[in-house]
Amino acid sequence: MTTISRQEFLLRARLDQTTLEAWVTEEWLIPGGSAEEPAFTDADLARAALIHDLKRDLDVNDAGIGVILGLIDQVHGLRRTLAALLRDARVRDGRATPTRDA
Amino acid sequence: MKDPYEVLGVERSASLDDIRTRYRKLAKKLHPDLNPGNKKAEEQFKEVSSAYDLLSDPDKRARFDRGEIDATGAERPRQRFYRDFADADHAYTDASGFEDFAAGDDIIAEILRRQAQARANAPGADLHYHLAVDFLDAVNGATLRLSVPNGETLEVKIPPGVETGQVLRLRGKGAPGRGTGKPGDALVEITVNPHRFFIREGDDIHVELPVTLTEAVLGGEVAVPTPTGTVMMRVPKNSNTGATLRLRGKGVRRHGGGHGDELVRLKVMLPPAPDPELEKFLSGWEAGRSYDPRRGMQP
Repeated sequence: MTTISRQEFLLRARLDQTTLEAWVTEEWLIPGGSAEEPAFTDADLARAALIHDLKRDLDVNDAGIGVILGLIDQVHGLRRTLAALLRDARVRDGRATPTRDA
Repeated sequence: MKDPYEVLGVERSASLDDIRTRYRKLAKKLHPDLNPGNKKAEEQFKEVSSAYDLLSDPDKRARFDRGEIDATGAERPRQRFYRDFADADHAYTDASGFEDFAAGDDIIAEILRRQAQARANAPGADLHYHLAVDFLDAVNGATLRLSVPNGETLEVKIPPGVETGQVLRLRGKGAPGRGTGKPGDALVEITVNPHRFFIREGDDIHVELPVTLTEAVLGGEVAVPTPTGTVMMRVPKNSNTGATLRLRGKGVRRHGGGHGDELVRLKVMLPPAPDPELEKFLSGWEAGRSYDPRRGMQP
């Protein structure tokens, strides 16, 4: 994933520096890179958009946002594990039948 | 584009507060990030969002009501949703919610362990398949297609002489790698189906060939099936049941080159119905009485 600089991220995520710092402190956003030169990704951008939606459109308060983000990340993890399990189960009894070459 | 009032389910006279309340209610239900995996929710959410965009702006709403703009006039380009990154590895990845039910379950524990180990550019896993191959395809070689669970079709080249238990490796046909990691291999374990009359022993093919009494006694040319087609073989005069004739080079291709042989074991067959002429001949046939094939069998 390509990284996005702080300046570009602020612009594209429609954030100001103070808000960004608050979100990072809350660990709603966890940028890579160093504290002086953080590196953001498209996933961070999409997560910032989600936080905007939660705050502005869905009227969720700050305490709720942390809870929701944590639960969403858990659901994603669960879905990944479920997908891996299903894939594994299919391969396990994947006795695909051969067909003759035409 | 649907009517924005219909999409939100509000009257045309609804107040801005009503519209906002209604939108929040729908958005809470339909936001794609609150519905990971539900594709319909995204469609509906987009409709609801653009309807809200239009109706929450008094100016746009008035213009729409006057028929100056249509419902598409307000669609805002939507960025990618966070759920689109659900499969990506990032700082927020959380796989901690299942340790309770994974405890004591080897399969789940193994998958979790593998997930935890997966690094940015890890190569893909090898995938294992079983393929049943017809006897003749195994002897002569063939190209078979194997449909695998992900919907793809693998072309499997069966080398001549393949045996049950042999594993063919298809490079790069396994699970995809992460990042710049190479994909794994597909490992195809071969099972050779038995044949109706050919039996393989090493590089040789064994076949039992029924011959008539006439052919056995007088000898002659008979047609013999081999894995590569029918060949003519000379049966010598006075050939008995059990006599084994060798067809050179008609067996399985050897690893280092050349072929094994086909060994043809004769089996004398009388005609299914009694034959008066044969009975008459044998009653008067002296040698038939004096020859004792069981001579060596006294205990």
